[in-house]
Amino acid sequence: MSCAFSRELLALHVENDLLESDARIVTNHLLECAECLVFLEQLGSRQVQLKLLRRDIIHPSAIASMRREVLSQIENAPKTLGWSVRLERTLFMGFRRHAAVFTSLAIAVVVSATLFAQMRQAPPQTTAKITTPVAVFAESDTLVRPDGYREWISAGSSIGPGVASGPHIPVNASSGISRNVYIDRLAYREFSQTGKFPEGAVLILETTRAADNQPIALEASVKDNRFDGGWGFFNFTSADGTIDARAQSILDKSSCRSCHEERAKFDHVFIQFHPVLKTAT
Amino acid sequence: MKGKELMEYGPDNSFLGRGALSMTRMPGATTSQETEEVARIVRLVLGGETSSFEHLIARYERRVMTMAMRILGGRNDAGDDARDAAQEVFLRVFKYLHRLDLEKPIEPWLMRMTINVCRDIGRKRRHHQSTPLESAPTESLAAGHPADPFTGLAEEQQRQLLWKALGSLSQNERVAIVLRDVEGLSTAEVAAVLDAPEATVRSRISRGRLKLKETIDRMTGGTL
Repeated sequence: MSCAFSRELLALHVENDLLESDARIVTNHLLECAECLVFLEQLGSRQVQLKLLRRDIIHPSAIASMRREVLSQIENAPKTLGWSVRLERTLFMGFRRHAAVFTSLAIAVVVSATLFAQMRQAPPQTTAKITTPVAVFAESDTLVRPDGYREWISAGSSIGPGVASGPHIPVNASSGISRNVYIDRLAYREFSQTGKFPEGAVLILETTRAADNQPIALEASVKDNRFDGGWGFFNFTSADGTIDARAQSILDKSSCRSCHEERAKFDHVFIQFHPVLKTAT
Repeated sequence: MKGKELMEYGPDNSFLGRGALSMTRMPGATTSQETEEVARIVRLVLGGETSSFEHLIARYERRVMTMAMRILGGRNDAGDDARDAAQEVFLRVFKYLHRLDLEKPIEPWLMRMTINVCRDIGRKRRHHQSTPLESAPTESLAAGHPADPFTGLAEEQQRQLLWKALGSLSQNERVAIVLRDVEGLSTAEVAAVLDAPEATVRSRISRGRLKLKETIDRMTGGTL
């Protein structure tokens, strides 16, 4: 095509997918450009062909066999919900919202009283035993920075004398840096037992100044099937170099996901660089 | 069954129910009625009546499996893959049913899960299989081909060409094209299902359509 008009706009105009302002621009251009008009007609005929694929439907016998298989697999599932599922259901979902508020308050009171009693009776413990998932979301795609991640399992560290470049190196790093990867204890335990990262597993990549061990970048990946590929990626590092308390998931595929998808040795995790994880498999 | 098929698809097998992604509702039923009905079934299942899960499968099985087949490429073993995908989707639905927000329609959740499962299968396929995505089909689980052998042959060839061209797109582009152009969802609905900004979805659709045209033109010399 010799006309330099945007073909991307034409490709959307063919099915009326443009915003009104853009559609007006395309319509006006088409009044005076025969070449683009022909291109649009060609796109239109491709669209008609594409709709032929709607005729492909699944044979009922295939559906029936799939259904039988699913039902046979869930047949032996427990008839009643486990307590953790019940609690999750009651607290967070659309079931019995009023009851959820009272239940939450009751649980908070009991937990506070228990903790208070323990604090009075026992000396503070240095290492907490983690039994619940550590990924806490403020909103569906906003991760709250996990506290105490330095107490987690250290999967590996690397120390560099100078500033290197790479996807996880902050641009404002000015001296030697250290990069540390942590995995939450629950996830590590599951991984070492089953060879799989459990839903809710969190890995933290912390980049610190070697001089004072202060974090200059903090990123996290969370195994969560709500995100593409089953992992969500989060960057807590703000533009001015401070570490934010919350981070939204990074949607741009090119930023994290594609590299983790393509190059990580196992399930989006670079276990090849982390001996602790490598040996756990 | 017949009634259910009619309520799921329009005459051209595209989705009905624009704006609410509610493609399986009873004729005349509103989105909230559909949501309430699903909520009723889910409560029964969560209450221990596992057998009620069959009602949920029955509502969405055709939808999930057809969509899986379209995303996976409509080729010979896509039928088997689609069956595996649908099976995995419903097992995941059963496992995570307690996480479903019963005040919202189930469809976007279900479609997102289908897409994720298909992505996993696609990844496994790339790792474990040497068969290219666009391999020629032999026998499919798909039904609905025309009776006239000549029309049937021409249409079959055209379909295979289209699947082949679709297979040349990136996964994101293919999913966007399947949802928008084959499933017939609006761009806003596609964005809701993919949990992506509408501008991103438009960009994937636009790129996908241009690549499809280019690929088909190249394969046919522009004669099709």
